[in-house]
Amino acid sequence: MFEWSAEQLMVRDAVRAFVEKEVKPHVAELEHGDLLPYGIMRKLYTTFGMDQLARDRFARQLEARRRELAGAGAHQTPTDGGAPARQGDGGAAAMTLIPIIELCHYCPGIVTAMGVSIGLAAGTVLKRGTPAQMERWGLELATMEKIGAWAITEPGSGSDALGGMLASARRDGDGYLLNGSKTFITNGPYADTIVFYAKLDDGSDTPVRDRKVLTFVLDAGTPGLVQSPPFAKMGLHSSPTGELFLSDVRVGRDHLLGETEDEAGGGGRESAKDNFVQERAGVAAMALGVIEACLALSVDYARERTLWGQPIGDRQLVQLKLAKMEVARLNVANLVFRHIELSAAGKQLTLAEASAMKLYAAQTASEVAMEAVQLFGGNGYMSEFRVEQLARDAKVFQIYAGTDEIQVTHIAKALLGT
Amino acid sequence: MNVVVCVKQIPDPAAPPSLDPATNTLNRSGKLILDDSDAYGVEMALQLVDAAGGGEVTLVSMAPNGEVSGLRTALAMGAAKAILVSDDVLVGSDALGTAKVLAAAIRRAAPDLVLAATESTDGYTGTTPVQVAELLGFPSVTFAKKVEVSGSTVKVQRQTEAGFDEVESPLPAVVTVTAGVVEPRYPSFKGIMAAKSKPVETLTVADLGIDPSEVGATGARQAITSVTAAEARQSGEIVVDEGDAHERIIQFLEQLKVL
Ligand SMILES: Cc1cc2nc3c(=O)[nH]c(=O)nc-3n(C[C@H](O)[C@H](O)[C@H](O)COP(=O)(O)OP(=O)(O)OC[C@H]3O[C@@H](n4cnc5c(N)ncnc54)[C@H](O)[C@@H]3O)c2cc1C
Ligand SMILES: Cc1cc2nc3c(=O)[nH]c(=O)nc-3n(C[C@H](O)[C@H](O)[C@H](O)COP(=O)(O)OP(=O)(O)OC[C@H]3O[C@@H](n4cnc5c(N)ncnc54)[C@H](O)[C@@H]3O)c2cc1C
Repeated sequence: MFEWSAEQLMVRDAVRAFVEKEVKPHVAELEHGDLLPYGIMRKLYTTFGMDQLARDRFARQLEARRRELAGAGAHQTPTDGGAPARQGDGGAAAMTLIPIIELCHYCPGIVTAMGVSIGLAAGTVLKRGTPAQMERWGLELATMEKIGAWAITEPGSGSDALGGMLASARRDGDGYLLNGSKTFITNGPYADTIVFYAKLDDGSDTPVRDRKVLTFVLDAGTPGLVQSPPFAKMGLHSSPTGELFLSDVRVGRDHLLGETEDEAGGGGRESAKDNFVQERAGVAAMALGVIEACLALSVDYARERTLWGQPIGDRQLVQLKLAKMEVARLNVANLVFRHIELSAAGKQLTLAEASAMKLYAAQTASEVAMEAVQLFGGNGYMSEFRVEQLARDAKVFQIYAGTDEIQVTHIAKALLGT
Repeated sequence: MNVVVCVKQIPDPAAPPSLDPATNTLNRSGKLILDDSDAYGVEMALQLVDAAGGGEVTLVSMAPNGEVSGLRTALAMGAAKAILVSDDVLVGSDALGTAKVLAAAIRRAAPDLVLAATESTDGYTGTTPVQVAELLGFPSVTFAKKVEVSGSTVKVQRQTEAGFDEVESPLPAVVTVTAGVVEPRYPSFKGIMAAKSKPVETLTVADLGIDPSEVGATGARQAITSVTAAEARQSGEIVVDEGDAHERIIQFLEQLKVL
């Protein structure tokens, strides 16, 4: 694919109209924390029937999981409940990425809140949960009736999320006792359902770094679980980010995802890694949205802003900025197209490719947005002109879903075979 | 109940329009989209069919170059099928020529009700639908702000300058709806994917049994003799309040002779 199809353009135009009407007028409230993003996210889902599509997909995934368990015996690893792994998605990836791009013209924060709830929280439960867990938590997360958080990062870990993790799960009767704290958790302050990663403390002397990572599903309001108010932060104000504190939270085995301590099955290390490729592709689409918006705003401004009797667009230094933004747009769009095309063919980017795409897209979006601020001069520094917000928002692309530096390590590892 | 909606496909109003200097007509060679005015008719029709508990919505459009983009949008909203009349002999049609074509196409669908917009966004003569009604021998009700069907009657609240009239008409009838009569839905993703495989019957003037000399430039009884650019709008006057703003506003209004 080298351009959007007629059908994809229809999706784009419909979502664009929705964003103009339902998001654009609320950006200030979202930015100042007067409005949470969840109402708009749910409206997007119901308006375009994405909730119904999720329900249909859920029914198929559940059915496939049941068949898989019945046929393979209880010890088999549950894998993706969807269609056989190497079947193309018929271009479905575009249906996810187009709304991401369009929303990022105004509000990358909504995309983050949505991506974490649907992609990470629902995605993890549906991929690794038992049929009972899929029904109990997965469906309402996938349709956005419930909001999800996905909690791996801790104050002391971050880039070293799995190794440095200290949150612990101790066996307690037929359940577990959970302790620890998580930070920078998207939707943390308001989530109904939390996917929580912790290390198995089985009383042995296995060093903490090497202990098994287990995945739990927690309901808001569980005794011992505290969800902090949202942090103040540099950008992405429309996506609430907070901390979680667990002290002696007691959960039954039915909260252990996959109801197995087997690492390859429900295990946290695998489960955390499942998400890397999708997440990184999602960030590239977000970057494309920011770049498109900054470019369009900059072109208009270069035409309109007149100094010394000439539009600033007549100046070569300004033209250079616009040309570089266009190069960025083309490159990131092509990366996004490649991801869509691979998915349609039933293939997936390798981890190194996804990392390369995310690294480039994140850095480029950040650069483009800062150059847009520069092109707008003093106005660029004023909130009214949107590029100011987009520049602050874009910076996070280089930090979450793996920092730039971590992407470099993943790319280098594949190149050098280390 | 079966409803036909006339939908005009027009050049994107957001893009700068261009005129053909030879004929003074709008250049329609690029991609055309669903006229926003007609999205209301489509939504109204979908709601009426829903309320009736059965039937379907058929779109009828006349457009150059086999254009279907606007039809696909309306199909994605939920219309069942479409009839498109596209034929080189139609170039240069006036509103009556257009009405002849639309009426012939509508007749094939044998609807209980025909909806159209009060006026299109690009041509906005607002004359086509009533001519269609006349040619079909149907009663017509214009400027509907509310439409209800009960049995074989359509009840319409008809927008007037002072308020609205309540009007009833036997079916089949042609009703033109105003913008805002209903809130047009966004096409769902599923609807967009389904639209691709919904039937669009493409017809020529010959298929409709219309004499080609009756339509197109030859049949047109109107010609555009000249086109002049609209006068650029004067920029407004900004009154900065230095304590005397009210006086200056009163002066200004007196100057306009509105006080
Ligand atoms: C807005 C926002 C939302 C987030 N949402 C979530 C969420 O929903 N769930 C969740 O679990 N987490 C979330 N995070 C956490 C995010 O994933 C981490 O911030 C990120 O992984 C980096 O970890 P850290 O902040 O601890 O930085 P650190 O890991 O402490 O990194 C500090 C610096 O050291 C560099 N560095 C680290 N390791 C290496 C290395 N090996 N080589 C070279 N340089 C290195 C880093 O690149 C960085 O520049 C979110 C973060 C933000 C900002
Ligand atoms: C003065 C004049 C200039 C014209 N210039 C051009 C020109 O530049 N290029 C050109 O191609 N034609 C031109 N036409 C033809 C004109 O586009 C057609 O007559 C048109 O279909 C009806 O005119 P309107 O747009 O004013 O429709 P209106 O009467 O304002 O339309 C009301 C409603 O009728 C329905 N309807 C109207 N037209 C169609 C259609 N084609 N298909 C389906 N539903 C429809 C829609 O629901 C529409 O909202 C011109 C006609 C006139 C009289």
